[in-house]
Amino acid sequence: MEMIKDVLIGLWESSGFYALFADGTFLWQNLVMIIVAFVLLYFAIAKKCEPLLLVPIAFGILLANLPGAGLMDDPTGLMDTSNLIEGAHWYDSGVLRLIYAGVKSSIFPCIIFLGIGCMTDFGPLLSNPMSLLLGAAAQLGIYVAFVIAILLGFEPNEAASIAIIGGADGPTAIFLTGKLASHLLGPIAVAAYSYMALIPFIQPPIMKALTTEKERKVEMKQLRKVSKTEKIIFPVVVLVICAFILPSVAPLLGFLMLGNLFKECGVVDRLSDTAQNALMNIVTIMLGLTVGATTNGQTFLQWGTIKIVVLGLVAFAFSTVGGLLLGKLLYVITGGKVNPLIGAAGVSAVPMAARVAQNEGRKYNPANFLLMHAMGPNVAGVIGSAVAAGFLLAMFGGK
Amino acid sequence: MFDLKMPLTDALAVSLIGIVTVIFILAVIAGLIILVSKAIRGIEAAADKKKPVVAENVASAPSGVPMPEGMNQGELELVGTDEKTAAIIMAIVSDKSGIPLNRLSFKSIKLMEDK
Repeated sequence: MEMIKDVLIGLWESSGFYALFADGTFLWQNLVMIIVAFVLLYFAIAKKCEPLLLVPIAFGILLANLPGAGLMDDPTGLMDTSNLIEGAHWYDSGVLRLIYAGVKSSIFPCIIFLGIGCMTDFGPLLSNPMSLLLGAAAQLGIYVAFVIAILLGFEPNEAASIAIIGGADGPTAIFLTGKLASHLLGPIAVAAYSYMALIPFIQPPIMKALTTEKERKVEMKQLRKVSKTEKIIFPVVVLVICAFILPSVAPLLGFLMLGNLFKECGVVDRLSDTAQNALMNIVTIMLGLTVGATTNGQTFLQWGTIKIVVLGLVAFAFSTVGGLLLGKLLYVITGGKVNPLIGAAGVSAVPMAARVAQNEGRKYNPANFLLMHAMGPNVAGVIGSAVAAGFLLAMFGGK
Repeated sequence: MFDLKMPLTDALAVSLIGIVTVIFILAVIAGLIILVSKAIRGIEAAADKKKPVVAENVASAPSGVPMPEGMNQGELELVGTDEKTAAIIMAIVSDKSGIPLNRLSFKSIKLMEDK
């Protein structure tokens, strides 16, 4: 009888319900995060909001906040030395923490960039190199958000990680935050991906406010055809130039351009296929799951998270403004040949931002077809945000 | 009022240098693209001039001209493919290969099932 009682007590004490009240503290934050996970799963499955990312992220949130499950435990202090257990082995617990090493070491963001490279057609950018300037101007939000984050009292490395949300590029944000302020990875990744999904709602009001109807109606002339040789040389030249000027961009741009070379060279179709399908899907699962798992209730539900979410929105908005303003300048310089709306697509977020430019253009001129023109700044934004991340890493990576 | 971890002037300087760096690097890439494109197009144009016969043949290849009378166009076997899809496939093959449709002969278009 005594034994049965001991077993039942042992079961109760090892349960999640007991862990909720461990050490006399009610872990309400975990319960809130579990509800957040349910809400995100609903949006991903029922509303189909970025489901490929949101389902693993939401499930990662759920797993990491199950009391007592210990999926993000780090008993030997591989990445976090605050909860060391004497005599423990690195493989004893914390399966998600082990997978998370792929984020922390930048392996996952780089492999995602490899897949993106395989799927990206730089043709529109090559036929209109001016697109690169729009992609650069649309990084404005990163630097505006950096200054505001400093004013709000964040450390410079934290401010840089928050600011990169304005690059509208999930892997870049995760890459930089993993290097500079990994304790903020959860809120920054969630904010970055949420705003990328919300681009169709964030950008149009800004586009409308900053452009005239006449500008929005501008039809752009057809792009020239780009030769295969140009497409093959492009990734190699870009990587070499960028990495020589700013070596810290080499990991992201290196993988992006390798993927693009796989696509364009035409002799490694199998590698290109694997990188953009199987490999990309595998890494997306692991990346999404572990990024979600960094949102532990105790550390996530703080005022700092709300500040990050607001700053992310500011960064996105100012990046859109930067692209649009340069677009307007080019409209004036070229005598009305450039539709300023394509500047907004410079915020990366491929191809969503380009689609928004296309849709907004067609609202005012149904015969207008801006998609391919917007794809130039859009893919330039990927390079621009990687360069911006490289700059911030060079500035604050040593601290 | 603010508990700043970095002087505001430094933050503004970092931001300014940051955006200038991004614009500079992307402008350099844009300049290089223009140069490389011109060089490649120049080389390709020169290479095309060296092959006048081939170029003339391609240029003079009649596109969309019906087959000469008496020439058998043959039968096209469609397996698991409708006529519209077959027409699209033939147009793509013609476009990608640069061979006019009236010079191409299709014997069969078959839907491959996943094994």
